[in-house]
Amino acid sequence: MAIEVQDLGVFIGRKKILSGVELTAPPGIVTAIVGPNGSGKTTLLKALSGDIAYTGEVRINGMALSSLKPWQAAVHRAVLPQSTTLSFPYTVREIVKLGLLSGRSGARPEELATLPERALARVDLAGFAGRFYQELSGGEQQRVQLARVLCQVWSPVLDGRPRYLLLDEPVSSLDIKHQLAIMEIAAGFAADGGGVIAILHDLNLTARYADRIAMMHRGRLVACGTPGDVLTDEMVSDVFECRIRVGAPPPNGTPFVLPQSAEL
Amino acid sequence: MLQGQARPAPVGLWSRAEGDRTGRARLCIAALAVLYALVFALSLGSGASDMSFWDVMRAWLAGEGDNALSARDSIILYDIRLPRILLGSLIGASLAVSGAVMQGLFRNPLADPGIVGVASGAGLGAIAVIVLGGTAGLGPLIGLLGIYALPFAAFFGGLATTLILYRVATRRGQTSIATMLLAGIALGAMAGAFSGVLVYLADDQQLRDLTFWGLGSLAGATWSKIWAAGPIIVAALCAAPLLARGLDAMVLGEATANHLGIRVQRIKNAAIVAVAAATGASVAVAGGIGFVGIVVPHLLRLTIGPEHRYLLPASALLGASLLLVADAVSRMVVAPAELPIGIVTAAIGAPFFLWILLRRRGLLDL
Repeated sequence: MAIEVQDLGVFIGRKKILSGVELTAPPGIVTAIVGPNGSGKTTLLKALSGDIAYTGEVRINGMALSSLKPWQAAVHRAVLPQSTTLSFPYTVREIVKLGLLSGRSGARPEELATLPERALARVDLAGFAGRFYQELSGGEQQRVQLARVLCQVWSPVLDGRPRYLLLDEPVSSLDIKHQLAIMEIAAGFAADGGGVIAILHDLNLTARYADRIAMMHRGRLVACGTPGDVLTDEMVSDVFECRIRVGAPPPNGTPFVLPQSAEL
Repeated sequence: MLQGQARPAPVGLWSRAEGDRTGRARLCIAALAVLYALVFALSLGSGASDMSFWDVMRAWLAGEGDNALSARDSIILYDIRLPRILLGSLIGASLAVSGAVMQGLFRNPLADPGIVGVASGAGLGAIAVIVLGGTAGLGPLIGLLGIYALPFAAFFGGLATTLILYRVATRRGQTSIATMLLAGIALGAMAGAFSGVLVYLADDQQLRDLTFWGLGSLAGATWSKIWAAGPIIVAALCAAPLLARGLDAMVLGEATANHLGIRVQRIKNAAIVAVAAATGASVAVAGGIGFVGIVVPHLLRLTIGPEHRYLLPASALLGASLLLVADAVSRMVVAPAELPIGIVTAAIGAPFFLWILLRRRGLLDL
């Protein structure tokens, strides 16, 4: 039981975007995908979500992704896109409720009616149900989408099988408090038996919350392991193509903000 | 009170939960059904003849065999007023629903069969049947289809236009509003050019037919037109609610709809066919009646929200009522003559369209 990727390749036109990616994301842990812009992180997640054609194989809990119908895949995984804009005046509650479309949230029947409110409370948006989605800030919209995604796979394990959250930069437009809150939700989902694959940009946040880091560089997976194994001076400097020292404060004495020093 | 703070406990008939508009939507649909019944009754009793709604009711309540209606009144009621009301209702409902479905499909509130060239494409199909109907190539086929030839041709014209439009305006599952509107202009112009060529080729009798057809009017409503267009429109209207769930999910983008378990391709195909069928059938029997498809769904979204399972039936009811009212107006403004109803809907709808554009200019970013 895991999301398993074997020899994954993606071509857009004739251009090779990804090649030879091998990755296993087991349930119970948070797997982070990191790498510089254009390294293929989002393409990898899109392939795992079934959005684009690929070569090689992607399996969810042993089943080939390509053989699953959309409603079958929707039972096993939920996907949080980077950003979602709407052109119709939906309320926040109406958007969150769309997560229940697949019909297998795993919540008890008596919980269903209030599930949108509970999901909103989880992402620290209690009381926002009646607001219009279009009037929210980018960070609030992202958390509304996360609430929708949580509704889809409310219980991390269904029928004895783990379910997965695929998150594309879930904290990219959030303040520090909500970055931590969202990562706690992801970690909690994994602790309850589900699997999480998240694209992250903030290496500090990654080091704190990821159990396993997959590092992408120019369409290939160059390292995969624990934060201690992957986040080394040499590896990070090579991949991000600038000199980086892990675990050291800036040498010139400029002030910096360390998200890990904050606590909820 | 601070925005975003917890609000007081929900009270009242429809607010079961904050942000849940389903109760309000149901109430609104019930109100619209009552409105439609009222408009229907008033239309039965209004016209050039002085037969009133009460005369009609008295005659119906008295039952058969009672000669409460004179032969003249009976003809007016059953051969003039009733078919006109039914055809107006069918077309109003079909225009409003196809507008709502198309806006859902293209994920933007400015899509409307009349504006983005689908009605022009349907018109081209209809003109082709009128002008080329007698030629050796098409004659036998059209003879076979009988009264359905015109609606079917218009359906295929609308279908081709919608397919091309979707191909042009949608890239990787996201629709560009600007591209859609511009492609609509180009497709409309192309259909107009081909239609022009056909009109140029037409003989005198065909020109007469074309003129009457193109007026955009309910004046020629007959039972045979209802039999020709009605089944197609009813089929499209019945199919529309099945799309509601999918259209809601598609609002978040095609990829997200797929993640939610929706068979996106199937929903798209069904929506395109339903829009082409409803638009084609309407255009075939009543010519171009614009703006119903944009005004009605937009007003309803302001009231009951954009959830399609309520928006689609509400659009059908309000579209039908609105077209009956517009028809009454078109008969009263220059009585005893009458305006083509397309002029009335355009006079109301075009400023409304501009108003939407002004309010939501950010959407276009041209």
